[in-house]
Amino acid sequence: MPPRILPPSKAITSILRCKRSVRFQRQYATAAAVTPAVSHDQMTKGSPPIVRYPSTQPPSYKPPEFRKSQLLRQYASLIRSTPLMLLFQHNNLKSTEWVGIRRELTNALRKVDEARVAAGHPPTENIGDAIKIQIIQTGILQSALKIVDFYKPELEAQQLDPTGPATPSSTLIPSSSPDGSIATHVLSEAAHTATKRRSHPLDPLLSGPLALLTFPQVSPQHLKAALSILSPVPGQFPAPTRRANPGWHDMAVQTGLQKLLLLGARVEGKVFDVEGTKWVGSIEGGLEGLQGQLVAMLQGIGAGLTTTLDSSAKSLYFTVEGRRTMLEDKEKGTSGEKAEGPKV
Amino acid sequence: MITRFITEVSTVFNPFSPKAKTARLFLSFLPPDARQTMKVSTKLLPRISKDPSFVQLKFRDGKEMKLDTEKLGIKGVMEEVDRHSRILSRQEELTGN
Repeated sequence: MPPRILPPSKAITSILRCKRSVRFQRQYATAAAVTPAVSHDQMTKGSPPIVRYPSTQPPSYKPPEFRKSQLLRQYASLIRSTPLMLLFQHNNLKSTEWVGIRRELTNALRKVDEARVAAGHPPTENIGDAIKIQIIQTGILQSALKIVDFYKPELEAQQLDPTGPATPSSTLIPSSSPDGSIATHVLSEAAHTATKRRSHPLDPLLSGPLALLTFPQVSPQHLKAALSILSPVPGQFPAPTRRANPGWHDMAVQTGLQKLLLLGARVEGKVFDVEGTKWVGSIEGGLEGLQGQLVAMLQGIGAGLTTTLDSSAKSLYFTVEGRRTMLEDKEKGTSGEKAEGPKV
Repeated sequence: MITRFITEVSTVFNPFSPKAKTARLFLSFLPPDARQTMKVSTKLLPRISKDPSFVQLKFRDGKEMKLDTEKLGIKGVMEEVDRHSRILSRQEELTGN
């Protein structure tokens, strides 16, 4: 008996054909002899290959639901977005001590921001709110540093031959394959194998419990304020006085600060020790001051260069002039004598 | 690590030397309230320095111990400290606190 349901449309038929068994296929074969027409776009341009993973979760070397995978992503993003990063060792600080230290740090950085606004900089440039001190998992930070500093997949040449049979499509494919075997994100297997055996210059510092103080920009003024609070040096980074900042002399803050130890810093990819960090903090005038000094030096170089090039020509001129004047004087002297001679 | 018999700790290390790990770990093993009962001083050597790192301790009975952290690992350091601390705790028990 023929089925009571109406035969489906041609488009749905072609989809159902693959799922139906052979018996049903024969019944619908005549009804669905024509495949559905593709769109004009599909006919004129090649379609990207079928991806076998969701675009929001590409294949990851370790399971992405682990905390360490997400921490790796967070730390990679942190390293890329903070050119200035200070490393501290924290030795069993209590939560009350952390609260106190963060409070003092926020207050000091807010004061720096207010001073900058008062000096005329626009308030949108304030970075005091974005500076934070956080405890990090040392091993995962080590992996993240290696991936950020050593794995640069966009520099590797694309090795797809457009006429080769292995190429899934001639469209411009980003540097990843449809089954994810050459994905290049932070969690990918490619990133892991590329950086597994590398050693990073910051490696000796990365042992034990670590905390990071991160700055979104290299700002010597903010660094100076932070160092005055966290690891003061009498003279260079003076600690706040009891009258100016009684909160800093709190018991909790003081005991906490005794357990914090500044180890070094990573500034724009380079590793600095404690002395280097202090040097960066003592740069006067911040980034604008540095840029002004650079401009003045460049202008000075131009002027100095022209003076140097001119100097030999000028000295030659002066020498010749001097000689000429001397000769003229001599001539005048001799002609004067001659003129006087006959008279006598 | 038994730390209640230690009165003074002084460490010297170069943080960029891989051999400094032991000294740093020793500092991290001190309990949070330890600094109220003992004096802890840390000296960081400059990056290029090749001086050896060490940990110097003073105990409640006056004994001074200087441990070369480059040869002993953290386990060795803890063993030495615990050995003397256990002796002191035994004495404490016997004298009835």
